[in-house]
Amino acid sequence: MKTAKEQGFSLCPKCHKVNKTSVEPIRCIRCHGLFYQRNRNSLQYTLAWNIAALLAFIPANYFPIMIIYSLGVPDESTILSGIGKFISEGLYPIAAIIFTASIIVPLIKIIGLFVLVYRAHTGVRLKPDKHSTVYHILEFLGPWSMLDVFVVALLVAVVELGFVTSVAAGPAINYFAMTVIFTMIAANSFDTRLLWDKFKENND
Amino acid sequence: MRQDNLIDTANTKQLIACQQCDALYERPQLKQGQNAKCTCCGSTLLERKVDWVNRSFYWSIAGLLMLLPATLLPIMGVMLGGQYDDASLFECVLALIERGFYMIAILLFLFALAVPTVRLLGVFYLTYSFKYKRLRSSQLSFFRAFHHLDNWTMLNVFMLGIVVAMYKLIDDTELTVNLGLVTYTCWMICSTVAVQYLDQDEIWQTLEQRFGDE
Repeated sequence: MKTAKEQGFSLCPKCHKVNKTSVEPIRCIRCHGLFYQRNRNSLQYTLAWNIAALLAFIPANYFPIMIIYSLGVPDESTILSGIGKFISEGLYPIAAIIFTASIIVPLIKIIGLFVLVYRAHTGVRLKPDKHSTVYHILEFLGPWSMLDVFVVALLVAVVELGFVTSVAAGPAINYFAMTVIFTMIAANSFDTRLLWDKFKENND
Repeated sequence: MRQDNLIDTANTKQLIACQQCDALYERPQLKQGQNAKCTCCGSTLLERKVDWVNRSFYWSIAGLLMLLPATLLPIMGVMLGGQYDDASLFECVLALIERGFYMIAILLFLFALAVPTVRLLGVFYLTYSFKYKRLRSSQLSFFRAFHHLDNWTMLNVFMLGIVVAMYKLIDDTELTVNLGLVTYTCWMICSTVAVQYLDQDEIWQTLEQRFGDE
């Protein structure tokens, strides 16, 4: 396989034009944007955003995400206790959806990106084709964790019946939204071509 | 597709590279509806979409027609103890701001309203100028900026959010589904399909022929 990098070319990440490699940052001859041959400091950025996401995930689970006031009495629920409530009411499919979107997906994303960064950095047991598939799955899953934020936002806006019932968002919602956005930025800054570069470097 | 050992590297116009693994290829001649896959990692290199200008143009018009009803009509309402309350997407954002939940208000506004709207208008503008041959050099920067929004539309996630919120409410309250939900669904479908039909490579190629500098 011949890569563009070896042949002295660089691919513009925005318009996918093959440019001759010059001094970085390269100005694309087609879209006139500035870019680097590989995302600059890709692994460092991914790692940093990932750690930030992990840190934000702790208060997101500790604090209440939603407070339901019925007749003035507050009833707080965290992400996990909200799921528990669904299970005790027998609404299993919804419990499964919420559990997947707000616990499993963020965790899998954070762990997966850590593994990818580690593999791309060290090259231990690196399978670039498999690992780029993993990356694409992680990238696809990203936005779906926002589900819980949107549900709470809708409930707050719709259930506003004065003294009888009203819903308020808890502090955890901000931390949770931060977790999701941080993992999305982390996934965006990862460059799959680094996996192939490392793989070639190891095999040569 | 096959990777030749002797790639003519003199002319960058004839070269394409895989975005995932950086493999270099000579540009294949594709007919409408064909696509080229990378032999190394299997991702799609190029795709020629059938009749993309018209399809994308008309889908985006449909999306724009749905835009106002989808955001302003109430999506769902609840009735409890003789009191009734409903909310449209836009009212949701206003209600969140009113009650001081600024962060989720901003997120909801950006991901479920602003970014999809801007993207839809962008598709409309691009396909309009391709259909009626009104190309300008500013469209190079425009289309480059357009790609920044690719990852940040969450219409489908919000749709699932509506479904989950309904499940939460259906037991304790009298839930009514309003016209807003129908128009919102249509808007989501139209804007997703309109963006899907865009043939990015052809847009860039055409713009390059007109305004590129070598």
